[in-house]
Amino acid sequence: MTDDGSTAASNGRSLAVHLTVNGRQITRAAGGHFTLLRWLRDAAGVTDPKYGCGEGICGSCAVLVDGVPVSSCLVLAAQVDGADVVTAAGLCEPDGSLGPLQRAFHERHAAQCGFCTPGMLVAAAAILAGGSTPSRAAIRAELHGNLCRCTGYGPIVDAVEAALQAARQGGQPGQAPDGASEAS
Amino acid sequence: MFTRPFRFERADRLTDASDLLRRHGDDAKVIAGGQSLMPLINLGLAAPQVVIDISRAEQGGRPRVISAADGYLTIGALVTHSRLTVDQMAAEQQPLLCSAAARIGNSRVRNRGTLGGSLAHSDPTAELPLVMVALGAEYEVSNGERTRPIRAEEFHLGFLTTALEPDELVVSARVPSLGPRWGWAFQEFSRRDGDFALVAAAALIRSSGGAIIEGRVAVGGVSDRPVRLADVEAALSGATAQEASGRIGTIRGISPISDAGASAAYREHLAQVLVQRVVAEACQRSEAA
Repeated sequence: MTDDGSTAASNGRSLAVHLTVNGRQITRAAGGHFTLLRWLRDAAGVTDPKYGCGEGICGSCAVLVDGVPVSSCLVLAAQVDGADVVTAAGLCEPDGSLGPLQRAFHERHAAQCGFCTPGMLVAAAAILAGGSTPSRAAIRAELHGNLCRCTGYGPIVDAVEAALQAARQGGQPGQAPDGASEAS
Repeated sequence: MFTRPFRFERADRLTDASDLLRRHGDDAKVIAGGQSLMPLINLGLAAPQVVIDISRAEQGGRPRVISAADGYLTIGALVTHSRLTVDQMAAEQQPLLCSAAARIGNSRVRNRGTLGGSLAHSDPTAELPLVMVALGAEYEVSNGERTRPIRAEEFHLGFLTTALEPDELVVSARVPSLGPRWGWAFQEFSRRDGDFALVAAAALIRSSGGAIIEGRVAVGGVSDRPVRLADVEAALSGATAQEASGRIGTIRGISPISDAGASAAYREHLAQVLVQRVVAEACQRSEAA
């Protein structure tokens, strides 16, 4: 229970936090006041989650913690010590190529400036993981906690729908949208 | 994002959190899901020296239990809104709670936010304090040495203000299970889906033979705390579902504010409309029950 060790500016202890991030085990010491977002970006160099509002409204910092979407700006890293964290970058294929969701976003032009995209992808990943096949309206409702200022949301919902459809059609998501041959 | 540094303390049990609160006094804040405290910290509106994490606290599992016995449903303080939304026992025993929990913020807020956190934060527009007041809930609060029950209406004292002593935490909340022929409804209005409600309303109605026997009605967002509407409840007694709306006049006993979101007059209007709607919806459910 030693105090300090951190910079003079910090009146908090520096804490070692261990997380699995996108399959990689990372241990970094940081101030106890570090949010998960700040820990990821500034301590671990994982910069795809973005700081938007700091209030949990915009969704640009969304990550999966043990499979559940959370606002990483509203969680302290030390609170989730030991957890499994997946960011948008973790949705790629093992060889580093685009994963099915990422490809759907790319194909449907679901990103413009790109700031909301990492959070959108994480929210979409949670929808896909849910296993159900939500209606377009339900997808929109599920994404209401992620703000986009560029696309008008249409292409994003298109991309999620396409990814869901691909996932339904035989577990080969990301094939050319009309090229699926298996019956649903 | 670059908040003033604070010291992080993890409480393995709720009683440890009370010990830490006694040690650090006003400099300390308790964090569970963090969905209310962290925005305040990120925006510089709160600057605690010490943050006490209870999100992983155990106490024989109690903080996370949802249980039903003797006509009451008891929910542990660390139950998340997401879990409350989908919990089967809660849905059977008191669906009003699940319905209100489903309207909180967005899915990320619900995934982290906890019942105890929402009650202790006591935001006047928050969903759970409102339904707790409507239901006549009783909270169990404890400082680790002394545990006491307190009624929801006596707990929520004002804007972000509760009857908790400085070293006390909410342990659980107990609400009556939905009885036979009771109907329920929750509605809120916000500018954008997921935003703080401008006004929210909850109703529980018991009817028989087409007439209302008794009702419980409360509104949030129009005072510094959720308000139970005794006038409305009295006026509804004996009314048919068709007559009910007409018996709900201007809502009294509230003091809505004017701000950038809406004028006081608009909030007052919303309160009346939403109360009419929840009463109508609760009547329907009661008659179908």
